[in-house]
Amino acid sequence: MRWMKTWLVVALILAFATAGPGLAQTKLKVGFIYVGPIGDYGWTHAHNQARLIAEKTLPIETLYVESVPEAQVEPFIDKLIQQGSKVVLTTSFGFMDGTLAMAKRYPNILFGHASGFKRNPNMFTYMADFYQIYYLNGLMAGALTKTGKVAYVGAFPIPEVKRHLGAFALGVRAVNPKATVNVRWLFAWFDPAKAKEATEALIAEGADVFAFTEDSPTVVQVAAKKGLPSFSHYSPMQRYAPQGVVSGQLVHWERIYVDFLSKVLAGKYNATNLQNVDYWWLLAEKAAEVGGEFGVPINPVWVSKLQAAKVNTKEFGTLSVYDLVMRRLAQMSKTPVAFDPFTGPIRDRKGVLRVPAGHTMTVLELTTMEWAAPGIVGPWPKEP
Amino acid sequence: MMRVGPFEIERRPDPPLTWILGVSLLAILAAMAMSGVIFWSYGVDPLRAYGVIIRGTLFNAKALPEVVRFAIPMLLAGVGLVLAFRALFWNIGAEGQILAGATAATWVALFSPVPDALKLPMMFIAGFVGGALWGFIPALLKLRLAVNDVISTLMMNYIALYLVSWLVHGPWKGPEMRGFAFTNEFPPAAQIPLIAGTRIHWITLVLGIALALGVAFVLARTRLGFEIRVQGESSDAARYAGIDPMRTTLLVMLFAGGAAGLAGVGEVGGIHHRLLDPNQISLGFGYAAIIVAWLARGSPVAAILTSLFLGFIFTSGDVMKVALQMPARVTDVFNGLILFWLIGSERLLFYRVRWAPGRAVREPLPVGGAGADPGPPGISGGDQ
Repeated sequence: MRWMKTWLVVALILAFATAGPGLAQTKLKVGFIYVGPIGDYGWTHAHNQARLIAEKTLPIETLYVESVPEAQVEPFIDKLIQQGSKVVLTTSFGFMDGTLAMAKRYPNILFGHASGFKRNPNMFTYMADFYQIYYLNGLMAGALTKTGKVAYVGAFPIPEVKRHLGAFALGVRAVNPKATVNVRWLFAWFDPAKAKEATEALIAEGADVFAFTEDSPTVVQVAAKKGLPSFSHYSPMQRYAPQGVVSGQLVHWERIYVDFLSKVLAGKYNATNLQNVDYWWLLAEKAAEVGGEFGVPINPVWVSKLQAAKVNTKEFGTLSVYDLVMRRLAQMSKTPVAFDPFTGPIRDRKGVLRVPAGHTMTVLELTTMEWAAPGIVGPWPKEP
Repeated sequence: MMRVGPFEIERRPDPPLTWILGVSLLAILAAMAMSGVIFWSYGVDPLRAYGVIIRGTLFNAKALPEVVRFAIPMLLAGVGLVLAFRALFWNIGAEGQILAGATAATWVALFSPVPDALKLPMMFIAGFVGGALWGFIPALLKLRLAVNDVISTLMMNYIALYLVSWLVHGPWKGPEMRGFAFTNEFPPAAQIPLIAGTRIHWITLVLGIALALGVAFVLARTRLGFEIRVQGESSDAARYAGIDPMRTTLLVMLFAGGAAGLAGVGEVGGIHHRLLDPNQISLGFGYAAIIVAWLARGSPVAAILTSLFLGFIFTSGDVMKVALQMPARVTDVFNGLILFWLIGSERLLFYRVRWAPGRAVREPLPVGGAGADPGPPGISGGDQ
């Protein structure tokens, strides 16, 4: 009966298992649930950086789980709460219903859900959005294209990406009314191989400036190899192509996390008053930043080219694209903003009037936007 | 029989149960020792790690039902695979069959005029038919055109994956979901009831156990079962005996695909309540079911145990991620090591190593004398 011995070993391990450490917690414990790996250099990486900053700034303790499948958010929330979390933040749209169900099951725990639209007295929503920055990037791209074809490698044809692409295309056309924005879809948030393929295909089509939504610096690197300019996405990617990256989009989720959690610590937010708390934070709140590197809105390598390009605008007369970008940036960094790219009249690429004159798109209109802005070339699933 | 130094190695076609359990436990312990080194180098005390894993899964009221929740799809797909492997049809396509079942069930739930009372039964029937159809195509290709079943079933997975992706981004995208790639939520009548406080959709679980017992009965006690077993042992013998390989293979694959299809119904009807990104619907259950069937060694009843074991493996990784704050990759390595050792130790089961230093070698054996392949154990080793 040799195998009896192995049973004995297992029994010993079980005995070990039941003797757990009893920990007394005084700091507020905050649990984060991520949809991707923290090393993705995109969405999840940025949330994790923000978590670390929040932990340094505030007297809190944090836990995180990465690569959580959408339907597994409920058991993971259970586990985070068992580990002592009093606040749980979930960072993917697909976590919405699971987070809401758990918010109802644990009325004394505070929940936050990024990018969704369902709330509860103990569950708020938050989003740091880039559309203003894509507009600024578009202005620069319009000035830099020689072929008149600007490329966009898109992750998924969903409203968030369509909105960013739309703002980007409006920017391109504001400077270069004849330019097109050629689109390729990856149907993945992280897929360097497909991103490389898409970039090469767009180069073959004649595109010579690149912007994208994908959680790796692939597009930047492939474009740089051909000596073509690109715009960094989500994380600081200028370091991957110091000559190639013109500008880009950077996020500061910590602005939201620190604001919310300090209000929780101060007793302002609790499990009964979050029903209407919805952070939709942009440039003015400093949740988003323009640039391919923190603190560098435009790569100095490209400044002179943008200063040499002139554009005629109704509002400012003739000025350089560099000055136009800086003026628009200043306008959008004010509260309330003095400029919004989605102010009518705007027709879509089929000629249908989408934003009437004098109207600026509301947050709901922005988050449900399906139409394609003029100048966009390529497939557009669910085009209205 | 073969000699290696002072040892004698001989075949043992029917290992006793104690030997099987003993070798498997040793394999698990070896895997734990090996991953212990990884934990230790990551800075976590291995014994504490195992304690946390076992306490967090088997001794945790919230986590234990999750083991069953994961086991359900792998049991259904696994029972189908046991049968397919017994008939020597190498079905790698359970993943696609799961998706086909999920898609068919979604059509019934959201787009068919079926009255509420019949929704659930119709979803299960449609899911079975959908999965069966997905399994039927490669079976027909093999029988008629001698297309390799491993390749064709594997490729059918990708077809199903892109089909689901197209549906949720295109025609089935739900108007309630604000443009995100999900269908609308299933109406309450199309949601499979859960055991209170858990995510065990019990109807699917009962179906899985019933199918496991049913297949065991068919294999052991019916003419069809006899034909499947003979064909699995030797297709030549089966032909001499007048067994129609067309009939048995098609029946087997209709069942295997259908069972996997039921697993898909359980996932969308019991867990997600909608169709969504294919990689979120099935977390690789169709591939994990191959291991379930392999470890079950041709016995459908044993698949109940092996699917629970795989369920434990899935949940143990989750516990490590939260309670030990380990990166997802480290937990994947741990899971991989356990399965690697279990499958790797398989061959050990069918050989006996004996200490016999005194006996001289009478005649030199041909190289590979001991390598007389006993065949995949699932085919000849089972006794159901």
